[in-house]
Amino acid sequence: MKKILVVEDEKALSLLYKEELTEEGYKVTAVLDAEAALEALAKERFDLIITDIRMPGKNGIDLVTRVLSRQPDIPIIINTAYQSYKNDFKTWAADAYIVKSSSLEELKAKIKELIEKPHVPTQKRPD
Amino acid sequence: MIEIVNFLAQDFEKDAPKELMLLSFISQSFFQPFSLEENLLAILSALTSGSGVGFNRAMLFLAEGPKLRGRLWLGPRSAEEALYIWNTLSTPGIGYAEIIEYNRSLVSRPEDNLSRRIQSLSYDLKAGQELVPSLATTSRNIVLVRDARHEPRLADDFREIIGLDEFLCIPLLAQDEVMGEVILDNAINRAPIEARDIKLASLCGLVAGNAIALARMHRRVTDMERLAAMGEMAAFVTHELRNPLAAVGGFVEQMADPRATDRKKKRNLRIIRGEVKRLEDILFKIAHLWKVELKQSPPCDLGSVVRSILAGPEIRRKKRHRVIVPDIEDNLPPVLCDTTYAAEVVRNILDNAVDATPDRGLIRVRCFFQDSESRVVLSVEDSGAGIPPEIQDKIFTPFFSTKKNGMGLGLLFVKRVMDACGGRVEWESGESRGSVFRLYFPVDKRGSS
Repeated sequence: MKKILVVEDEKALSLLYKEELTEEGYKVTAVLDAEAALEALAKERFDLIITDIRMPGKNGIDLVTRVLSRQPDIPIIINTAYQSYKNDFKTWAADAYIVKSSSLEELKAKIKELIEKPHVPTQKRPD
Repeated sequence: MIEIVNFLAQDFEKDAPKELMLLSFISQSFFQPFSLEENLLAILSALTSGSGVGFNRAMLFLAEGPKLRGRLWLGPRSAEEALYIWNTLSTPGIGYAEIIEYNRSLVSRPEDNLSRRIQSLSYDLKAGQELVPSLATTSRNIVLVRDARHEPRLADDFREIIGLDEFLCIPLLAQDEVMGEVILDNAINRAPIEARDIKLASLCGLVAGNAIALARMHRRVTDMERLAAMGEMAAFVTHELRNPLAAVGGFVEQMADPRATDRKKKRNLRIIRGEVKRLEDILFKIAHLWKVELKQSPPCDLGSVVRSILAGPEIRRKKRHRVIVPDIEDNLPPVLCDTTYAAEVVRNILDNAVDATPDRGLIRVRCFFQDSESRVVLSVEDSGAGIPPEIQDKIFTPFFSTKKNGMGLGLLFVKRVMDACGGRVEWESGESRGSVFRLYFPVDKRGSS
């Protein structure tokens, strides 16, 4: 079973994502902020991360940067209420940028695409 | 020994040089609050007043894009009226302010058809095909017409409206632009236009041109500020509404699924209700932020407002183990502020103090009368970490917040209310010594006079 980490501080949305993605057949871990996400990532390997940007504490963009420096090939979807962060080049490191909406179809389709695509190993960075 | 001389209202002696009188006359208008209309009226008054240049009539045309349009025409409509006006204005004791005031009454009376006559006039400013009056604007030169009746380079409708042979067109120059022109004549006393009149009038033209340029720039800046604020507002509203809407949409979708259990449906309804309430709160806050108006409110007892908020369940629940030390003077005079707004302001300031203060930390709330300024002061001092220097200039910026779920409107609201009631906000903050916010409410003296 593929594992997804959802980083979302809005409690209602976090619950919604957890239920809906579980329904789709994924094992979902939902956390409320970036710190908790980093803790979860240290303990367990995930196949995909969905993260909000504006959260208390460290924001989602910092999280993406941190995660990619450790696990450069994990797919990441940024899911935010803001359109404007698209202009921030740091968000380009994510595999997809989806603006929150009242339908989860786009998000679900993107997850499916990213999680099922054959794994392309990225170049190993020099340590 | 020093002597302090008042800047304003230095009416010059009658025999002072005309240039000096004129300069003095025009400069008066720039002491007024910034208004293009006022400045232009003052300049036209300077051009037509006996103590200024002394033309009989002055007409103002403004360049607006590719057209030159008639705007204002100041002067008597007939010889009788001229006599009456000139007598009135030469009465001893009449100064600049009175002349401008009188002229304002002239141009703003409903039957002032002088201005109305030229407001329908507009002329092309295309180079090469200009006729008087647009010639002065396009050529940037002073144009003196001596024989309008036989002058071919004159627009026909203009010849008819001005109705005399001799007049003067002065372009209003401002740096590299021409803002329009004034057209001057002596329709009543038929005095010939002399070199000295032209010199004085061109001086007025320069001042007027720059006044118009400044006014346009001012308007452009305020428009840009308004647009920027609207853009910020739109971005904020969009994202702020998107979170609850996404939740509502998602949970509704789940309920539409035939497999959804009753229990799940019930839970979803509860969540949806909560999110809808949140949407409503957001709209309420936005609507009220831009609508702070404090007219005709009954006197407000700030001490009671503060006491009741401190005793209320909301703050008690929120403060947990923090210690609030109130020191509220008895018999405070009433303040000039809407009680609902004052309560909201106090709540916002207390909220921030509680958020900033660590558990078991101290918050001092003082409310006292300050005799020297005749203000009631509310001072709220927290024992938090202080406001970091890098965000200190942003605390009143809309939508800026350091709090989780903060909308970034609280302090802005406080400031708007304090501004609206004629009070002010002061604050100090130092790293690791907390912040203190002081609100100065004006005392309501309506009942005591």
